[in-house]
Amino acid sequence: MKKYLAIFKINLLNNLAYPAELITRALMILIFMWIFFQLWAVAFSESGTGFLSGLSLREAIWYFLLAETLELGRPRLARLISEQVKDGSIAYLLNKPYDFLIYQLFAGLGESLPRMAMLFLLGGGLVWAMAGPPPGISGWPLAAILLAGAWLLHFCFNALIGLAAFVSEEVAPFEWIYQKFTFVLGGMLIPLDFYPVWLQSISKALPFAYMMYAPARIFVKPEWSHFLQLLSNQAGWLVLMGGLLILAYARGLRRLAINGG
Amino acid sequence: MPAIRVTNLTKTFRTKHKAAGLAASLRSLVRPQYSTVEAVRNLSFEMEAGELLGFIGPNGAGKSTTIKILTGILYPTSGEAEVLGFIPWKQRRKLAYHIGTVFGQRPQLWYHLPAIDTFTLFGKIYELEDREAKKRIGKLSEAFEIRDLLQIPVRKLSLGQRMRCEVAASLLHKPKLLLLDEPSIGLDVVAKQHIRDAIREMAVHENVGVLLTSHDAGDLEALCKRVIIINHGQIVYQDKVSTLKRSHLTSKLVEVRYAEQVPVDFQIPGTETVKVARERYGVKLRFETRHTAVEQVMAALSAAGTLVDITISDPPLEEVIASIYQTAS
Repeated sequence: MKKYLAIFKINLLNNLAYPAELITRALMILIFMWIFFQLWAVAFSESGTGFLSGLSLREAIWYFLLAETLELGRPRLARLISEQVKDGSIAYLLNKPYDFLIYQLFAGLGESLPRMAMLFLLGGGLVWAMAGPPPGISGWPLAAILLAGAWLLHFCFNALIGLAAFVSEEVAPFEWIYQKFTFVLGGMLIPLDFYPVWLQSISKALPFAYMMYAPARIFVKPEWSHFLQLLSNQAGWLVLMGGLLILAYARGLRRLAINGG
Repeated sequence: MPAIRVTNLTKTFRTKHKAAGLAASLRSLVRPQYSTVEAVRNLSFEMEAGELLGFIGPNGAGKSTTIKILTGILYPTSGEAEVLGFIPWKQRRKLAYHIGTVFGQRPQLWYHLPAIDTFTLFGKIYELEDREAKKRIGKLSEAFEIRDLLQIPVRKLSLGQRMRCEVAASLLHKPKLLLLDEPSIGLDVVAKQHIRDAIREMAVHENVGVLLTSHDAGDLEALCKRVIIINHGQIVYQDKVSTLKRSHLTSKLVEVRYAEQVPVDFQIPGTETVKVARERYGVKLRFETRHTAVEQVMAALSAAGTLVDITISDPPLEEVIASIYQTAS
């Protein structure tokens, strides 16, 4: 375990080597949150009641903040593995005495945590100023658990797409499709509660809902029974995707072709 | 037990082909065309523990692919290999504790962080005690003269300094075998010499076997006792370096530059003039060391005019391989 913590630490240090860059990249969230606020303020005022599917404008904007933090802060693992295969640097990652997937997990955490913290702090400041204070603290631990699960699900999907680079090198199209699914069916652009019932049912039967919607929804509307339901579905998808990932890695390694020799 | 035993090793890659133009691109989408490239063909060799073995050949000969199979990163298409008693692709993680690797064209040090951070990370990855790791870093710092470089972000080091740190990092866990893939690529003459000296010293003192791939015959002369030359994935020559030198590395190339112009028909006794530069300040010569002494050529060149620059090099490896083929036929 010590070696994985060291991997986490060096990735953390690497990200903190340029604090100005970290902050500048996080500034993107200010633009996104401002646009979201302007758009949804109109939609909410049109509703007449100030509520849409049980969410207030303030709750909706905090929902988007958590979803955006996850989207902008998660590691771009698929692209990273693809680059490592293309430039041959994967040779150094595979010839060390550790598990490659656990290495990527801890490396991703080290990269992701400072970025997500910065996004949430900067974005949160703006959202507070525009829409009002954050939701009550009671939902935060529950949201944190679902956020960790969502991060892991993203990791599994991204690593699976990245492993495709062992065979095809270029994974950008797969990554593009995956990202659009999380935007639309994961509830990043529109909370799933705003969809018609039939589309909600489809979305919630797919894994994407547990990668964005679940933590963001519980963050703004913490309900114990809903949390348990989301958590169990998320855990189910994690077991399935994790299993697939381990299987794909074992098979992919046999087909790996590294550039430069 | 040999450190490396390779028997009939073959590795093939499937490569996609596409002709130029839009029509060909569309055709390739519907019916992609593949061809098979044999990077390594029926390769068999052994390497003893503690041996310094050169594994050389021109670009694309299959050297790096072989190294990657021996470290367990690539699966072979067929054949067998054993490294320190392990089957690399089946026991990759166990083997990793006993081997060190350097791929000269790829950095393993963290680019934005000081090298000491990568050394500390490797200490943890190879499960060294903190005190042991510190002691080892101290020893390697001395051997590779990198003590003052360890605290500097890697991106600020010169290529030669970085390579010394790279090789030192690969020795941190006291491997029994060091696999060096083009460790001197891109380095100037002084940096090459520096890194060769340090590798030789560590290998001899710690009885580390070194398998070195290079397309620079100079690496081979400086470091190895035995050499295997491969071309198109097959062994074309294997013997002692001294034998290779005697039989095939017998000529030298000299490039000189004078302060004043030389005649178009410039000649030095005992040498062949390969080329006189168009502006007539530079000359390229070749001579056989069996027939003409280096000192004799130097003296004659010096007497011919005021020397501004001079470089003596071995003939390119491609020529050595051609000479080996010629001898065999």
